[in-house]
Amino acid sequence: MLKQKPLLMLWLAIQLSLLILLQQAFTSWISATFAALLLLRLLTTWRAKETLSLKWVNVLAAVLTLALLLNLKQAGVLHFMLQILLLAAILRLLALQQLYEARQLVWVHYFLLASCFILHQDMLLAAFIMLVLMGNLYSHFLLFSPAGIHLKWQRVSRAALIILPLWLAMFMLFPRLAPFWQIPTANVASTGLSDTLDPGSIEQLVQDNSLAFRVEFSADIPARSQWYWRARLYEDFDGRRWQVNPLRSRSGKDGSVTERSPGSATAQYRVIAEASQQRHLFALATPVSSSNNVAIAASGLVKAVKPVTQRTSYQISSVLQPVKQQSDEELTINLTLPEGNEQTRAFGRQLGQQFQQTSALVAAITAHFQQQPYFYSLTPPPLGANSVDQFLFNTRTGFCSHYASAAAVILRAAGVPARVVGGYQGGDWHQQQGYLAVRQREAHAWVEYLDNGKWQLFDPTAAVAPERILSSLDAVLSAEQRQLLNPGWRKFALLQTLSLQLMHLDYYWSVWVLGFDDNNQRQLWHQLKQQLTRYAYPLLAVISLLLCAAAWYLLRPGAVTAQPEASRLLQQALAGMVKQKPAQQSLSACLRHYASQHPTDRNWLQQLTDSYEQAVFNNDAAALRLLKQQLKRHRADLRRLQRRV
Amino acid sequence: MPALATLKQRLHQRYWQLISVYLDKRQPASSKVKLVQRLIFILPTRYGWWFLLLIVLLYLLGTNYQNNLILLTCYLLLSVFLLCIVLCYQNLSGLTLHCPVAAEGFAGQPIYISIGLSSDNSSADAHVMLSLHFVGQAPQPPLATLCSTVNLAISNTQRGKYRLPRLKISSQYPFGLWRGWSYVALAQDYWLYPSPDGQVKRDLNASAGTKEQHAVQQHGDILAPYRHGDSVRHLIWKRLARDPANPVVREQLSAPEAEPSWVIIPPASGEALERALRQGCRQLLDLEQSGQQYGVKLPHLTIAQSSGPQQLQRCLQALALC
Repeated sequence: MLKQKPLLMLWLAIQLSLLILLQQAFTSWISATFAALLLLRLLTTWRAKETLSLKWVNVLAAVLTLALLLNLKQAGVLHFMLQILLLAAILRLLALQQLYEARQLVWVHYFLLASCFILHQDMLLAAFIMLVLMGNLYSHFLLFSPAGIHLKWQRVSRAALIILPLWLAMFMLFPRLAPFWQIPTANVASTGLSDTLDPGSIEQLVQDNSLAFRVEFSADIPARSQWYWRARLYEDFDGRRWQVNPLRSRSGKDGSVTERSPGSATAQYRVIAEASQQRHLFALATPVSSSNNVAIAASGLVKAVKPVTQRTSYQISSVLQPVKQQSDEELTINLTLPEGNEQTRAFGRQLGQQFQQTSALVAAITAHFQQQPYFYSLTPPPLGANSVDQFLFNTRTGFCSHYASAAAVILRAAGVPARVVGGYQGGDWHQQQGYLAVRQREAHAWVEYLDNGKWQLFDPTAAVAPERILSSLDAVLSAEQRQLLNPGWRKFALLQTLSLQLMHLDYYWSVWVLGFDDNNQRQLWHQLKQQLTRYAYPLLAVISLLLCAAAWYLLRPGAVTAQPEASRLLQQALAGMVKQKPAQQSLSACLRHYASQHPTDRNWLQQLTDSYEQAVFNNDAAALRLLKQQLKRHRADLRRLQRRV
Repeated sequence: MPALATLKQRLHQRYWQLISVYLDKRQPASSKVKLVQRLIFILPTRYGWWFLLLIVLLYLLGTNYQNNLILLTCYLLLSVFLLCIVLCYQNLSGLTLHCPVAAEGFAGQPIYISIGLSSDNSSADAHVMLSLHFVGQAPQPPLATLCSTVNLAISNTQRGKYRLPRLKISSQYPFGLWRGWSYVALAQDYWLYPSPDGQVKRDLNASAGTKEQHAVQQHGDILAPYRHGDSVRHLIWKRLARDPANPVVREQLSAPEAEPSWVIIPPASGEALERALRQGCRQLLDLEQSGQQYGVKLPHLTIAQSSGPQQLQRCLQALALC
């Protein structure tokens, strides 16, 4: 069984898929080595030659394990485990000899395939992994079956019919527990906004069309102008670059209780965040409560309990009002300005003296951006040392980060605490599917300034390019710049709709499969209980009715009278003898058979047969009466005969 | 470590005694046995336990990473694991075993017992990968597909008439995760005749009345070392006085020649009886081959002269039970 070529080929295919699927976990030399070993196995299988001897395989295993161990620190524990397991599987296949070795191989394949789900949760890839898993299940089946067996579709579908409900019921109803211990995570570069905000960093992000997160609102959908998804606060400015203040890196729980001012709306929504390898997540305005896999940190930021290494969903509800001031420390941090950018500071001071009211000051800045010839562009000219000065008074062309940065500096110079907020703005609303898709290209930067103890939102980009806020980025950009964002295949309409449909499917996938958690499970149980008590009595009544109907159908007198009375009588009388007769033999043939075997009873058995045949085939009432008499007369004989046979 | 081995054997023996009592109550021997639910036992194999460990590991992995897809895989494997119980049961149930003929053979040689297998289910792959062997005998490789008869070896060194031991029929189909098995007792016997002794063959091949035969007869008896059970009357006392450590007896070969077509077993016991029986067995086989009429005279039984396979069987059975 082991030497079967198809089986070896199947295992090779599984290992090749594993190598590709786990590519993230391998550095290039490891991948190359594994691929070479697989190729060797392929060639030897193809030519039906002997592979390496066990001794050489052991030497190879020792050397490669040592190399992987040296690489451990760089790879991390999780990747190391995957590397070692795949190495073991590949070498095992290379020197496969015994049945028990094949069993081990199949076992390790199962484990590795399941581990692939740590790295991939995308729907298509998950489907592929499941397919490979089925392949492994098939190889497992072949291993314990006679050679040359063929799977029958009828049987497979019957098995699937049993497995599917069992499987889904287990998935939905089996208790879900919290993680038992801290687990090693993969060392992968994070995506999305970073801890620093350069003048050019958002432009880079905007060119990335991948999904950042998705949102579904449980009640009313806030207006589009309120879709500011806050992710990071940039409060330290060094003259060119904004950075996250160390104060924010400490994860402090939000101590203040947000009392809702009357009239302010709330939004309840669920965010399904893509894997970003970061802890920063997204929320609207002031979040007040969340599911317990995320925490609301100070200043209304939402952070995951552990880095988001896989698609994560969390429930959150926000009060749609500005974030409150946390401490006096916040005030001093957000008034500090470094040396440089003298022109801007002078402009800010001047505006500050001119407008005592903060709101008037903000309006003046907005007016300045609107009245002067400022341009919104994805490809702003490069800036020198005093970047803000250069942008405000020379180039006057910039992206959202330029405007936010300049506005914050002006506000600080005018004596108003201000900071830059990084996050996402807007998104594609899919009405039919009922969710908002926010991509990396929706990355945005805006300003928050302190007024009346609250951090008010101010988006200078809205002054320059209001379409960016009200519709989308594409509406603002020139055709030439749109070109920049839409490379290659995305131009084809068909492919675009296809990828959109796929994204919708992927959405349901993440909501129903990936996002299914203990909360949903509890709800399900609760619903089941409710439904059960509601439907129990009707259900019971229907089932008992069905049972009664079945009983009536089986026991109704008509069921028996289907055969002629003579046959029924005879069968009753010959119960024991008839049981042994083959199905295709007729009653009279059976009787003749007994007659030939028991010469002493031949006469009356012959008479019995004659009258039986007359009664059944000729519908003779007299013969039927005769049959009854004969049966009565020979009751003792029949009993004796039955004992003998 | 022989002590441990014997302990293990003893424990196994004790276990088998206990099990036998239970099995005899549950399934008394009958000529035809159909495997039904009450006769089939199912437990995980060693690989099944490993598979269960895999499922537990995947559950831990899925829970720790809060990864629903790993949990889905875990539950999928668990449902396959559970389904295998049913499949394993289906693979065995409905199978009917019977043993129509009492097998016969000679002690010391393996004899083959033919077991008839039949099934309610007409499809070709209804019962696959069955392995059958008698309890206490070496296991056999599994049968890929169902065949109507299967020959199973039994080896035993003692002559006699034996009841068939329980037949163990087991299968790990389809995934090797569960082993379904049944101990089937078939109401059938098998015969082990004394193994024919080749040594006497040459003497008997010579037809009665030739010169050499006479010579042996006249020369007297062949001397042989005393074995337990030899009659004291045959001891050569003079030699015993000379060499008390090695007693010698006079071998009685004269009896068969007196009545050439009678196989006579003298009243003896122990090893001497066995020897006589082995020689008698050889004589019977030769007589049957030569086509003569022959009979057997045992101390307590005489079988009239006749010939043919039935006569041979009757005589051999008499020898086996002597």
